[in-house]
Amino acid sequence: MRFSIHNVDKRIQLILIGAVVGVGGALASVVLNRTLELGRELISSYKGNWYLFLFPAIGAVLSTFFLIYIAKDVGGHGVPEVIYSVTKRGGLLRLRASFSRLISCALTIASGGSAGPESPVVISGASIGSNIACLFRMRDRQRIMLVGGGSAAAIASIFNAPVAGIAFSLEAILGEWTSTSLITIAVASAVGTEVSHIFQGNQIPFEGGSFSISRLDLASCLGLSLFTCFTSVLLMKLLRIIRKSSNKLISSPLLRAGCGGLLVGIIGIFLPEVLGEGYGSIRMVIHGHYSYGIAAAGLIVLGKILATCLTIGTGGIGGLFAPCLVIGSFLGFFYFKLLLLIAPSVHWAGEAYFALLGMAGVISSVLQAPMTGIFLITEITEGYQVLVSVVLVSVISVCLSRLFEPFSVYHQELAAKGELLRPRTDRRILSELNIVELIDQNYRPVRPDMRLKEFIEIIKETKFHFFPVIDPDDNRYIGLIHIDDIRAYLFDPRLYDTILVEELIDPTIPTISLEQELHEIIDIFDYSHDATLPVVHNERFMGIISKSKILDHYRKELIVEEEI
Amino acid sequence: MKNELLHVFRNTPFGRETLFQSIYFCKNAHISLKVYIPKYKQFLMYFENEVITVDLDDSYLRDPDMAREHAEKIIREAGLIPNFIEPKSYTASTLPDIPVDFEYMTCPRTISNLSAKIGLGYIGPKVRHIIKNSSFPVIIPTPVYKEWKSITVFFGGSNNAGKATRFGIEISKTSGFPIYLFTQAEGKPRSYYEELLEQKGLLSPLKELDFKWLFFKKGDLKNNLYEIAHDTLVVIGAYGHGPIKEVLFGSMMELIQSYLPNNMLIVGPNCTVSFALI
Repeated sequence: MRFSIHNVDKRIQLILIGAVVGVGGALASVVLNRTLELGRELISSYKGNWYLFLFPAIGAVLSTFFLIYIAKDVGGHGVPEVIYSVTKRGGLLRLRASFSRLISCALTIASGGSAGPESPVVISGASIGSNIACLFRMRDRQRIMLVGGGSAAAIASIFNAPVAGIAFSLEAILGEWTSTSLITIAVASAVGTEVSHIFQGNQIPFEGGSFSISRLDLASCLGLSLFTCFTSVLLMKLLRIIRKSSNKLISSPLLRAGCGGLLVGIIGIFLPEVLGEGYGSIRMVIHGHYSYGIAAAGLIVLGKILATCLTIGTGGIGGLFAPCLVIGSFLGFFYFKLLLLIAPSVHWAGEAYFALLGMAGVISSVLQAPMTGIFLITEITEGYQVLVSVVLVSVISVCLSRLFEPFSVYHQELAAKGELLRPRTDRRILSELNIVELIDQNYRPVRPDMRLKEFIEIIKETKFHFFPVIDPDDNRYIGLIHIDDIRAYLFDPRLYDTILVEELIDPTIPTISLEQELHEIIDIFDYSHDATLPVVHNERFMGIISKSKILDHYRKELIVEEEI
Repeated sequence: MKNELLHVFRNTPFGRETLFQSIYFCKNAHISLKVYIPKYKQFLMYFENEVITVDLDDSYLRDPDMAREHAEKIIREAGLIPNFIEPKSYTASTLPDIPVDFEYMTCPRTISNLSAKIGLGYIGPKVRHIIKNSSFPVIIPTPVYKEWKSITVFFGGSNNAGKATRFGIEISKTSGFPIYLFTQAEGKPRSYYEELLEQKGLLSPLKELDFKWLFFKKGDLKNNLYEIAHDTLVVIGAYGHGPIKEVLFGSMMELIQSYLPNNMLIVGPNCTVSFALI
């Protein structure tokens, strides 16, 4: 017998293909990392020149030009597109998304734009997963798992953090934790990390060292949570404002990105820490190499927020992960200096401790994904010692920020359009059902000029409760007659020859169009209190939809969701 | 499946010809016309196993304010009801998703490149992609409006040819036009093909129609194509043999599309036949 992947058990199939996707996701991250290194080397040779502040603008223009005119893709960092594909399109992603943003992002960041490489790598990994699933002709549920696997592998390999990759994929991308998806995603994440080790070595990105944590340090987490919450809310709101206003002010995407880049370059003259993805700055904060005071730290936080919003909000390509980490680390540093100012005699755990907590708080709030924040910070700093504090800051910060920003930075756009369909919610299950499959086409049409007598004969011959009235000349739908509504006429023979069918039509029965979404149809059922409704498309009667049939298909869909 | 034909309107004289062609098809196939007037340079079509990004040629975006007015006028004058697609979902803010649950779609030979490229033998890569992935057949119209008065189906015995024949039968039924079956026998007798038609349940529906079989035992296919009427709608299956076989032995559809200037209805491998015939 010939070997075919389709003959293998579904779980094994997913593990095998998940491993392949893991390799793809990791390679995307390695390629981007190497390109960024090359770019940085190239830019460093121009250091000290007065025109250096123009580089972010040049990079932003080149990046947008490449994305729109060469790769023929659309702007944005891409994660909302991945979530949209998972929630509404069965995990289908365009092949071009696997490379387009990688190159654009490298141009943006290497030239000094304030953005991170993670989101473009996530869409690349997800697109690789989606297209491999299509190649093997996998079903929607399996494809979604592989999209999750690609995203996890990308995050795992870029940060050398396999568990954070898994948490990010389940929490931010798929929105659900199930054992079946966990297996595929874990395999992809583990393979991705190993592939990254081969090319980049097993390095801890921001090793934190050891801390002596007192109860007072733990208590101070509450104050830091407030700071991280408000900083995240500020970042999210400012990003939205800059995105909207820049779109309104400048219609040309190239000019818009260029202006944003120019402003970032000007900020960079005074605060060079805000330029690029800023991993170097995080290391300096954690290793205690910063001798700045509280005011400078606060200024860097505000400067980085503004630079990030200007870069991404005006169309620069890059993600928010790295800027969040930079902002969080400086915010932690700022908070540490504030604590020293308030209580100089207390032996606080140190700036590195608060920097780690700041990073966890900001990233968890912006992504509304506390597990991702917790695992990411503990893995990238090997700071398992600070786990309890990280959990406290992440969870409190997420809870508080939800009061001001109910959706994560990735979900805002989709939620605003009403397209954020989380797994196992009513709307998500309804969106999976095909309205055409719900239509019952078993009916008997009647003419509007038919007399009641003739109509009664038809009622006797059939078992239907509904009768659509159709114009015999052009097949146009005129209305619907429900037997229950005409019962009074049926037993009065004097009316048999005097009443026409068109007089029996119930004009209050609403109609459903094929273009309506199922959740809208359910709303119509709710307000009309009908159990069955006619489907009319282009003035033609298509059939009947009943509440009971929707429920039946809803249950079947729920069962399918449980399967792989 | 909605009983509709999807037409992407190009607001140019060339686009007008294509719209006339779609209208003529709708009238004869008794289906409604659904027009999409693009506002962005790209749109997405989510098929079952692939998402296709359609990058439109610049001419599709010419004077979008007038485009709707032009299309509406043409459709009303033809006696049809103008129906327009307003995308409900967007993958990104400038990337609308167009529904794919149609019965047919009209595509010129190229949708992404300049119309100057349109000529016999050329089908653009996006149009090919749509044909390969869609659940509906694609109408490739002549560059200038030309009415067809019969249907000619290419039948070589494959499953895809069977599907094409089903579409041919359906259009012949609704339009009342005669249907011709074109078969280039590859060393096999007529009875073999008759049996295939019988097995696929196509012979008796064909016999109920104004049907004629153009059966060629001899001669070269290219020469025999001359027998096809100039005013017939050519219905043909495509990409039914898998990519390797098609690279090695060539595709029948490719050969035919490079020789025949007729209106064509191309039935791809993922087409589903939804009408009551089957």
